[in-house]
Amino acid sequence: MMPRWKGKGLQAKANADPMSKIVSQLQSSLIQFETRGLLSSCSVLVEVDAELADLLNRSCFGRPRITAQEDKQWFQLDMEEAFYLCFSLKCLKVIGEDGSIKSNEELWDYFKSKKLVFPVSYKVYSHLRHKNWVVRSGLQYGVDFVAYRHHPALVHSEYAVLALSEGDNDLNGRLRVWSDVHCTVRLCGSVAKTLLTVIVNSNNQGANSPSCLEHYTVEQRTITRWNPERSREDQTGPKNGTKKSTKHNDLAGTVKDKV
Amino acid sequence: MATHIAPLRKLCRFLIEIGALHVLDGNDIHLSLKELYEKLSNGKSGCYWELFEVYKHLRSLGYVVGRHGIPWSVKGQHIKSGTCSLEGSQESNEMLEMEPKDENSVIELFNNMQITDVSPAFNVYLPNSKFRKSSPGDPSFVLYISRCSPPSRVEIEALERKHGAIPFKFCHVENGRVSFFSFAKTELPVLP
Repeated sequence: MMPRWKGKGLQAKANADPMSKIVSQLQSSLIQFETRGLLSSCSVLVEVDAELADLLNRSCFGRPRITAQEDKQWFQLDMEEAFYLCFSLKCLKVIGEDGSIKSNEELWDYFKSKKLVFPVSYKVYSHLRHKNWVVRSGLQYGVDFVAYRHHPALVHSEYAVLALSEGDNDLNGRLRVWSDVHCTVRLCGSVAKTLLTVIVNSNNQGANSPSCLEHYTVEQRTITRWNPERSREDQTGPKNGTKKSTKHNDLAGTVKDKV
Repeated sequence: MATHIAPLRKLCRFLIEIGALHVLDGNDIHLSLKELYEKLSNGKSGCYWELFEVYKHLRSLGYVVGRHGIPWSVKGQHIKSGTCSLEGSQESNEMLEMEPKDENSVIELFNNMQITDVSPAFNVYLPNSKFRKSSPGDPSFVLYISRCSPPSRVEIEALERKHGAIPFKFCHVENGRVSFFSFAKTELPVLP
């Protein structure tokens, strides 16, 4: 599926302002200001000045909270976002209700207690973020995440992402029955996204600490519906007929275009 | 087996003619339909019906559909028992010549066919793909009919190793709806 930029010139704008650079600036600034987050239920709240607020917005971490405060702004980070900043980028520290800084292990245990599948969903989140994709909650589309090529203001999200795990201890029971496959693929299609499953294999490493994550492997698969009525006229080559079908039909899994 | 031959001949004639979209006269259609439906319902594991639905769906759209693992016949040559042959699309000139012994072998198309989630059902070629029975080439894709649940990652990986470069799809039949799904490995690129 080709990325759908939201306007003329926006692709060039995105190319001129790579996400990796924005995230890197965010990382530096958070470290510089020794930013602290407050643990609050399933979120982490951070108070930031205008410069950091701008970087958080441009890198798509967290959501700004509307407050009466003028000089500072509050942002609410999801668990995966907060843990990425703490554990992967090492630029944020989180304070618990007792006022002490939480270690990565403590944060890991806490988030796991709030969300059983946190290890799997975090692995998927961080895997995509490491590739400089923007990853946001996909709840309103019935999936775990949506992945954008750059800031959502510039481009529509291409992928609706489900974080799945392998084996009997799969706590995320999605796509176990055909009706769920039908439902999810249809919904994704109606919002012009390709369903991407990212399957995490823990390789029997368990989930006792975040250090287990580096031993997890991931595999990505797209699930697309093939419409035989639309493929008939496509004859770019008998051998690879299905892979080169029209863009309206089989949204083939291979992503070859580069930004 | 002998008592089943006559109605099965009618069955296979009907099947072939459905594939070629010929029209039978009223009596023939009526009888064949009933027998057709009975035979399809009584097949092993009762799975002939789904196979037939899929086959019919694709054939009526002009696709060339062959049973996986069964060689195509060559026009004018003997068809060995245990093999089956399917004629090409309606536009094709290679219509199968039906001799009585050929009808029995065509029965093999659905006979002994079971739907298991791991055994491929059909080789499918796109319409107008210059398909020739004498050298069919690789199919456009191999089709699996799924009954129970969607394939797991492990199952899909095994199929990828088995089929190599040839793509495969899964077909799900329920309530008369035939749906096709692809599960393609991908890797999102690293962005700048």
